Amino acid sequence: MFETFTKHERSIAPNMLASVAINILIFVLAAAGTYLAQSLDRPITAVLIFLMGVIAIGARSGVYSGVVAALTASFVYNFFLSEPVFMFGVSTADEIVPLIAFNVSAIAAGALAGRLADSAKAARAAERRSRFLLQVSGELQQAISASDVAEITRRLLPLERLVDLEIYIHRDGSLLRSGKEGHLPDTLTALLADDTSGETTSPFQAHVLNASNGEHGIVKFFVAPKQRGDSDLPDLQALANLLALAVDRCLLLEKAAEAAAMQRSEELKTAILSSVSHDLRTPLTAIEAAATSLRLFRSTLSDAQKDTMLDTISEQCSRLNRYTANLLDMGRIQSGISETLLREVDVVEILGVVLSSARQLFPDSAITKDLMTPSTIVRANPAMLEQVIFNVLENALLHGASDEPVLVRISENAEAAVLEITDSGPGIPPADMAHIFERFYRAGDRFHRHGSGLGLYIAKGFVDAFGGSISARSLTETGSGTRITIALPLVASAAEPEQDTP
Amino acid sequence: MKILIVDDEPAIIGALTPVLSAQGHDVSPVETLHQALAAAKNSEFDLVLLDLGLPDGDGIEIIAKLRELTGANIIVLSARHLEQDKIRALDEGADDYVNKPFGIGELLARLRVAQRRREVADGSLNDEFVSDQLYVHFRRHEVRLLGDEVKLSPKEFALLEVLCRNAGQVATQRKLLIAGWNDPHADGQYLRSYIALLRQKLEYDPSEPELILTEPGVGYRLSV
Repeated sequence: MFETFTKHERSIAPNMLASVAINILIFVLAAAGTYLAQSLDRPITAVLIFLMGVIAIGARSGVYSGVVAALTASFVYNFFLSEPVFMFGVSTADEIVPLIAFNVSAIAAGALAGRLADSAKAARAAERRSRFLLQVSGELQQAISASDVAEITRRLLPLERLVDLEIYIHRDGSLLRSGKEGHLPDTLTALLADDTSGETTSPFQAHVLNASNGEHGIVKFFVAPKQRGDSDLPDLQALANLLALAVDRCLLLEKAAEAAAMQRSEELKTAILSSVSHDLRTPLTAIEAAATSLRLFRSTLSDAQKDTMLDTISEQCSRLNRYTANLLDMGRIQSGISETLLREVDVVEILGVVLSSARQLFPDSAITKDLMTPSTIVRANPAMLEQVIFNVLENALLHGASDEPVLVRISENAEAAVLEITDSGPGIPPADMAHIFERFYRAGDRFHRHGSGLGLYIAKGFVDAFGGSISARSLTETGSGTRITIALPLVASAAEPEQDTP
Repeated sequence: MKILIVDDEPAIIGALTPVLSAQGHDVSPVETLHQALAAAKNSEFDLVLLDLGLPDGDGIEIIAKLRELTGANIIVLSARHLEQDKIRALDEGADDYVNKPFGIGELLARLRVAQRRREVADGSLNDEFVSDQLYVHFRRHEVRLLGDEVKLSPKEFALLEVLCRNAGQVATQRKLLIAGWNDPHADGQYLRSYIALLRQKLEYDPSEPELILTEPGVGYRLSV
């Protein structure tokens, strides 16, 4: 939307030729009109027509053309049109006064008209520049990072002779070129030296980006060489001020985002610390108490009492082990699970592994299996999937009704392997339902005794990494009985291997 | 057995040494890879218990070297979630692994498996595998489950043979793929299918196997 002078320099020459041609045409028409009026013996009309032509040229093409037109007109009038024709000079003193008056007013009118045209042109350029500045400031509202600032402004260029810009932000003691990666001028000299990348040979102007709390950096404006007919540069200082404001705002935004992230990580740290202090200290207390009792009262304790204490130590060690494994898994989820860890896994096979360890850990609990398929292949990490199923099953076994079995069901639908683990325990209160997959969330106080609040969070984190989904619902409206459903996308089954016979 | 323990944690060495000595083993503890290699050069061992995270490097680095220096079996002590490390250690030549933390009962069971393998290997020509439930004669391709003959296809038998020859120890997916398909990069889906067939023929409940156990992400283990 802006006239571009730099990119289309070659188009200027034809424009100028056309303009000169039109001026000559006006001049010739005016001369012809004057001659006509002169020959009809209308001297005043003749002079006025001539004057009109000169003023028209001045108005069209500015002060220089106006003056040139007036001088030429004066010469032509004197030589061709005024008596005696084809020679300079005047025959009577009466004729010299109108001639001088004519010349002076022609020159003055041309000059005035020309100056008017010039200032109109200047006004148009000024309007174009302020429109540019307005647009830059409008578009910069969308910038949310310092590199956006350079990018957004660059999209609005070129304006007149301003063709490109680079912004260098001052960060941690060095100036970083924003928007383009990896360019780090070591010193100011290197920055201000001509760009050696070969992209452009334009000279440039550098402005400091000043903002409320100090200098943010430098903007480097690339300016095309001045051509005849070009206007001057736009107000680069004003543009630099706009950019400084935008950069200032972006840096503040970044700081605010950092502070928010810091706040979140502080909250997480607090949650981890309180969890760690509770979930590590409780088993440690039990172990310490059992071990010191055994040492102090070895001779007075019965064998059964000693066995109970030794069992306590063992159980609490397993608890500590599970808890540290949970913390490790949480770390793995936070740092992201790589696709390279995933392979084809049979959910039924992994369930078999989980069931055998769960039956050992909960010998008094009943687990009922309902397998709709002998195998179902998904893309997952085998050990992580084992952890997912174990965590969900462990919850069901811990919180389920002691006299009702936990039901484990595997089925397939068109896209997914579906694993459902259902218990008929008191269930999850409706208010807690939305939060059970959150980190360190324990539904109700009765859960507190058992878990770390990480089991379902880890299950969800791993299932998400496998591209699956996990959800929970209550079996009744009052919230008792819980079913956790895990759906994992099926892998297109490979051809079964050729069957070899016994 | 002469056992070399390579672990830099004094509490673990302190806990293992008296128990293993009480079981009649001759225990030498060292703390670094460097000391482990020096010990292996200077004397013979039957078994190396190798921790993977040591002050002067990763235990995996010296497995191949230990294999050259001694005929000892190597059991790796590893964290549960590091399957890739376990696979690498087994591929380098370790015989088995034990997840940390482990109960002493589990560790002693693995030591017994290793000891039995050494005795069998010393008696060289081992044509059969015998356990409470299973009898396998390798040359005759004969398999009996609780005395009843079981018909296996050649591939099923090849896989069962590897599991039996490593009974009690993990057989990696790679090892089984080589045995069945002569190609370590064959599709794991084939292996899963054949293990499923074997389980159908040998297990009471194939969905909860008690004989051919899955080691998720690593391979399979024939329980003894």
